[in-house]
Amino acid sequence: MGLVRLVIFGFIGLSIVYVLVSLYSRSVRLEKLEDQWAEEHPDGDETDREAWLREGMEDYKRSFRPKLILLVYVIPAIFVLMSLILIN
Amino acid sequence: MRRFRIIIRSLIFLILFGVFHYVLPQHDVVRVVNTYQERQDLGDWTRIFWSKPDDQSATLVNRDVQFIQTRKKKTYLLGFIRTDAEEVMVYRNEDTGWGWPFYFKFDTANLQTEADDLQSTAENPKWAVVTHYGWRNELISAFPNAVAIRPVTGPDVTIIPWFNILFFLVLAVIIGFVRALWRQFRERSIDPALEDAGEAWEAVDARADEARGRFSRWLGSWRKK
Repeated sequence: MGLVRLVIFGFIGLSIVYVLVSLYSRSVRLEKLEDQWAEEHPDGDETDREAWLREGMEDYKRSFRPKLILLVYVIPAIFVLMSLILIN
Repeated sequence: MRRFRIIIRSLIFLILFGVFHYVLPQHDVVRVVNTYQERQDLGDWTRIFWSKPDDQSATLVNRDVQFIQTRKKKTYLLGFIRTDAEEVMVYRNEDTGWGWPFYFKFDTANLQTEADDLQSTAENPKWAVVTHYGWRNELISAFPNAVAIRPVTGPDVTIIPWFNILFFLVLAVIIGFVRALWRQFRERSIDPALEDAGEAWEAVDARADEARGRFSRWLGSWRKK
């Protein structure tokens, strides 16, 4: 029962962290893209800009980086396993 | 206002310090004198200083607990300065199971055997390092929980608290990340929303202006640190 409780609450807690981290990562990427556009097209068209941004974000979603955020689940699990082995 | 903030911050710091001091592992250089097992009453508030090794133990009013009696080298300053003086220390030896604090200790019986094996006399001492967490308090009969024991050649071994070093490094990284996250959120979401809201209010009423000024000033009090 203790293990079940730990897994359930751990999963809920880590999911909150996962959502926060992915929101942050997406926000940072969007800001970078906006800055890049502003630099390269100082007087660019608004619809062009939005299409370009959308494409950039699609590329980001397909890239490996967002998958790295899954480490949020993996690292604590490894930590628990490590302590189980080292302590006992 | 400033005094209030200082008080709140010191309180938070004190509580955090207490929790960390209780929960993080510490190392003692000891000589095991004896081990014993004793029935403990768990019915009052001092229950928080005993473990819950498994689910059924949560409802028990009393149960047997194993103890390790030692003589340990006295330390000062959170254990960083060790002296030649000795004092008596008694550890409890309980499983922590899957619960708080997260040591995942299940090998109580094995640890008790190891401690038994290390028993020695003052004339012919065998030294060991006990890893433990928790506090000893004679008034309320609280005992630190021994987590591991390993034999060492002499009483003046160098102990490097690797786990605690790593723990505080990771904690610093997490705090830095939360700050970055909050800044990004404020810059991208709150500030633009406030600007929009501010423009709308200005158009409606001059009094709204003042309110926004106050709100911005209040926000500013968070910004300037």
